[in-house]
Amino acid sequence: MSKKGNNSIDTKEELNTTLSEEGIGLLGRFLRGRIWYGAEWYFAVAGATVLIAILLMTLFAPVLAPYDPNGFVAAPFIPPGGGHQLLIVRDSDANNVNIDSLDQQVFGVIRNKNGDKVARELTDSITRYGDLDALALALAAGEVDFAFVDELDESMIPLSVNNLTIVVRGMGTSFPLGTDNLGRDMVSRVIWGARTVMSVALLSALFSSTVGITLGLISGFMSGLVDRVLSLTMDSLYSFPGLLLAIAMVAMLGPGMINVAVAVSVIYIPTFFRVVRGQVLTIKEELYVDAARSLGAKSSSILLEYILPNVIPSIVVVFSINIADAILTEAGLSFIGLGLPPDIPDWGYDLSKGHSFLVAGHWWLITVPGVLITLVSLSFSMLGESLSEILNPRLSDQ
Amino acid sequence: MSDRLRKYILVRLLLTIPMLLILVSIVFVVLRVLPGDPALAILREGASEEQLDAFRASMGLDKTIPEQYVEFLSGAIRLDFGESMTRDRLVIDEIKTFFPATVELALYSMVVVAGMGIISGAYAAKNRKSPADYTIRVASIVLYSIPIFWLGIMFQMYFGAQLGWLPVFGRLTSGNVPEVSITGLYTIDALITGDFDLFIDAIKHLVLPAMTLGLVLGGAFARLTRANMLVVLEQDFITAGRARGITERALVYRHGLRNAFIPIITILGLQFAALLAGAILTETTFSWPGLGRLVVDRIFDRDFTTVQASILFFAIVVAGINLLVDILYGFIEPRIRY
Repeated sequence: MSKKGNNSIDTKEELNTTLSEEGIGLLGRFLRGRIWYGAEWYFAVAGATVLIAILLMTLFAPVLAPYDPNGFVAAPFIPPGGGHQLLIVRDSDANNVNIDSLDQQVFGVIRNKNGDKVARELTDSITRYGDLDALALALAAGEVDFAFVDELDESMIPLSVNNLTIVVRGMGTSFPLGTDNLGRDMVSRVIWGARTVMSVALLSALFSSTVGITLGLISGFMSGLVDRVLSLTMDSLYSFPGLLLAIAMVAMLGPGMINVAVAVSVIYIPTFFRVVRGQVLTIKEELYVDAARSLGAKSSSILLEYILPNVIPSIVVVFSINIADAILTEAGLSFIGLGLPPDIPDWGYDLSKGHSFLVAGHWWLITVPGVLITLVSLSFSMLGESLSEILNPRLSDQ
Repeated sequence: MSDRLRKYILVRLLLTIPMLLILVSIVFVVLRVLPGDPALAILREGASEEQLDAFRASMGLDKTIPEQYVEFLSGAIRLDFGESMTRDRLVIDEIKTFFPATVELALYSMVVVAGMGIISGAYAAKNRKSPADYTIRVASIVLYSIPIFWLGIMFQMYFGAQLGWLPVFGRLTSGNVPEVSITGLYTIDALITGDFDLFIDAIKHLVLPAMTLGLVLGGAFARLTRANMLVVLEQDFITAGRARGITERALVYRHGLRNAFIPIITILGLQFAALLAGAILTETTFSWPGLGRLVVDRIFDRDFTTVQASILFFAIVVAGINLLVDILYGFIEPRIRY
């Protein structure tokens, strides 16, 4: 876009950025991109922003996650926004507990006074081990106190322990995304899950790009029989339903992060291969490649120093879209039950577990991981799409 | 049929052989050559050495890799997949039972993909750079970023559980069994036999799975339609038509779309592999008794023969569809030749 012939300058700000062509810093050049590229720039920035946030989350998972993602930290099925544990005990055989004032019709609330830790431990011991002595002790020691409520509302989940019906309810802000069916904190699971998802996606993209680019360079550069065989193989692989191949591979290799990454990576090798091969075929006819060859450059240096650098913009685009797809495939594998071992927190796994509790109305179990998978995959797609428009404007439909 | 067309079809047919060979080989490598041990994968840890050996012998896994490969290949060519390890029947019969469900789901999803993709893609191309164009483009990216099973669950939750409009599991209401099976596609069978109630029941069960699968792939398809339409709309005959005063609407939807149709149909055919991959997850979500679900179920049943055969069968179907699309392409587009 030329400086003078541009009649789309209509705000002062745009005028300023356009006029001060020289001497503007990196930030200035970055911001000016929105005038050059329009909507694509906004897509790219939006995608990149989400991704940076997710990457930070991934890197600082141990600091950010409030609880152990595999720890049973609270009562199960606390809805989002639920927090400090309130235990409501309806007594049918009060002898076990030191609460004489309770009868069958009365619901009592046990309030937590000294932070949520005590109440959490109490809930844990009651719901998981049926241990009511701890509650009695805590009451006696004054760590928790007791109040009555008139009736149960929807947020209270009754559990049967010994002869008592215990009702558990969450309140406050300790569990912004609630807890899952085992009483694990969803926020912590989501944060640690991001680490898993990103690792698998990045690893698999690295695998497939390494293999795909190498084979694509060789195939495009050598032509002849090697090219034909490689192309046909890649075309066949490309036409095969990728998820099915990944399912077969994981079923054979067994669960595990590396195995899943390898299985997912096989699907995208042909994509890298096709793009790189196509580019090499065009670039190797360029004059500067001819010139290098006539000056006596070796084949390997032509390939690596003259051709490869020109292929990189397309690779960046494919890489980004590949990650978007790999995230979905990994989630799909986990959903089927073939992904990672259950002790690794993973969005796809949480989603498939949550599916069975949907009927009971625990919607957040599937909503939270589902939204996150979509968001991350979407960000990578948007980044890839807009980069492709920005880096290769002639290839796109502009 | 001209000589050139005949030659094209012949070459394409011959090319299917190496392609099929490669696909079968890929499946073989995954199932037999990769470091995983099928015997251990099927019998799990704790199986005694004798049990493992017996399994290997029964599956022919004790032979050398080249011997296994020859056996594998000849089995695939003759469509002889052996007997199921968990059900008392031939694997090919199992596939015959489950495959029609996948075909039916795929066909109706294809209708959703084509309908939604072509209409919104053409509209976006007509109104390029308008808010509608950007909305359609963003919506299509969002659609294919959604995990397909999650979209399915959301549909189940809303249209099934909340509103109670549509069934969320299976192909028919339980207890409703079609009396005759001609094609295995319940809707087609119902139409042939004139069983209207069966038809309605089958369609009701199809709506949610077909919408789920169709919407996710329809997003990608809308983008491809848009790109192809843009190429067509820049051609001279469109400008000429505009000069003659043909309305913009007629130019785009009548003249433009007709000319963009060939690449669009080709892409639709090639999307079939993606459709089958999506069908695996859709079938799992909706308990749809198709081939994808057969694979997944039998992996957990440790039924190695069925899993192996189903995956091989998928490969053969994909090769067949690619062949079909290419031959059709040869008929529609006379310029393409090898």
